[in-house]
Amino acid sequence: MHYLKLISAFIKVNLQQALAYRADTFLNIVMNLMWLGWELISLQIIFSNTASLGGWGLGELIALLGVWRVANTMMFAIVWPNTERFNTSIRDGSFDYNLLQPVNSQFLVSISRVVVWRVWELFLALALIVVGIGISKSLVTPLSILSFLGLTLSGMAVLYSLWIVMIAFTFWFVKFDNNVTILHALMDTGRYPATVYPAWLRIIVTFIIPIAIATTVPLQGLRGDLTGWQVLLFLAVGAACLFISSRVWRAGIRRYSSASS
Amino acid sequence: MLKIYLRMWQVTWAEQWQYRANLLMYLLYYLVSPIVLLSVWRTVAASQGSVKGLTANDFTTYYLTLLIVSHFTTEITIHVLAYKVQDGTLSGELLRPVHPVMTNALMFNLAFKALTFIALVPVWTLLYVLFRPDFSGVTPATLLMAVPAVMAGFAVNFFLGAIITTVAFWTTRVYSLSEFIYAFAMLLGGTFVPLDLLPAAVQRVAQYLPFQLYLYFPIQLVLGKLAPAQIVQNFALQAIWLTLGGLGFWLIWRQGLKRFSAVGA
Repeated sequence: MHYLKLISAFIKVNLQQALAYRADTFLNIVMNLMWLGWELISLQIIFSNTASLGGWGLGELIALLGVWRVANTMMFAIVWPNTERFNTSIRDGSFDYNLLQPVNSQFLVSISRVVVWRVWELFLALALIVVGIGISKSLVTPLSILSFLGLTLSGMAVLYSLWIVMIAFTFWFVKFDNNVTILHALMDTGRYPATVYPAWLRIIVTFIIPIAIATTVPLQGLRGDLTGWQVLLFLAVGAACLFISSRVWRAGIRRYSSASS
Repeated sequence: MLKIYLRMWQVTWAEQWQYRANLLMYLLYYLVSPIVLLSVWRTVAASQGSVKGLTANDFTTYYLTLLIVSHFTTEITIHVLAYKVQDGTLSGELLRPVHPVMTNALMFNLAFKALTFIALVPVWTLLYVLFRPDFSGVTPATLLMAVPAVMAGFAVNFFLGAIITTVAFWTTRVYSLSEFIYAFAMLLGGTFVPLDLLPAAVQRVAQYLPFQLYLYFPIQLVLGKLAPAQIVQNFALQAIWLTLGGLGFWLIWRQGLKRFSAVGA
């Protein structure tokens, strides 16, 4: 309850900020629609030259684009802005105030900045998923939708955990303010099914910087490519990542010794 | 004049050498998208033999060459200059008897290239080993011709970027304009796919636009895929766009300076 109140307070503050810069917010939305058009044109170009990409059709790639946009929205609405804030607060020592608050510090670091207008992108992403599945005519059952939702959630949990671990490394290596660049740079790999990549790249985006787990895997669940055991395994991985990352975070906090000292 | 450039080079190089740790990070951004697209098209080509006559190897050589050509022809003037217009620090540079874009911004671009090139070489070599492409179309002659093509391509792109950056005199939202044009350039210049895969009507338009002159043209030239007539046509186009770009920049910069009234100074 306490946390819900805090979240709504953060959202209110950030909403006011967005409204103060209305023209910029509007321009951002226009640019976002432009990129959506770009992405659809790029898929159109690919599928005007082939009927399938590694066994995936146009509809499935549109749905994948939708899932990728969900992950991307999480990044742009929460992860990148909070990283920036976090890195600054480590450099100038204002992170101390975070620790003094009577709230879980990981929670504060994760959510104090929210780019609110990005929320509409989630509706856009949902539309892409629905339309994509409609075009692909693949067999969707209540069970496959359920596993899709579960896998999307656990995929986001994996990405979120990776982020927490990456920024927690700053406690050990102070100069590590490039902490999230690799995640940022590799996000683009999520636009296409990981199955088309050469083995070394597939291993990177599945196990090391697991963007595919948040994009390709949920769609595979929806397509029915995964067995029940595999779905459960991925769900367990998501939960395990959340647990491990919060342990790493706490260990990092114990190492922290402010900026001036 | 040469002395000024030499000095500028030393300054910008030293400035950027401090940030050499970020090199690999910048490089990563450049690398990911070509490698992803390379994989996509290799998969497509492998599943149906070829795409509009392009084999898996053609795609590999195309994107691997793209990595090098785009490294030499990209330009980052907007990141060097736009903020100086907005916060007024450009005033200091305007007091100097040399043009801030043609000296400082240009040298900054070149120093950035030189520095990131150090990181590009090992990574490119690694990719070469991983993909084992067949570069048999490349000859000393095509490489030699590519040198002026890449240089002129960079110049075209540099003027384009300088013109966009100059719009900062009128609006603070110049980054969105730049992003918008970048999106077009990606499709019509050959970053996303070799132009051969675009619809015929789009190809006809794209071949006259400046975007392909600093990517698709030099790449195809290196790979030895162009007929002599096409080579001549593209060099001529480069000359035309270079003139237009230079002239356009000269005009817009003059107009922009008239509007400039150092914010906060």
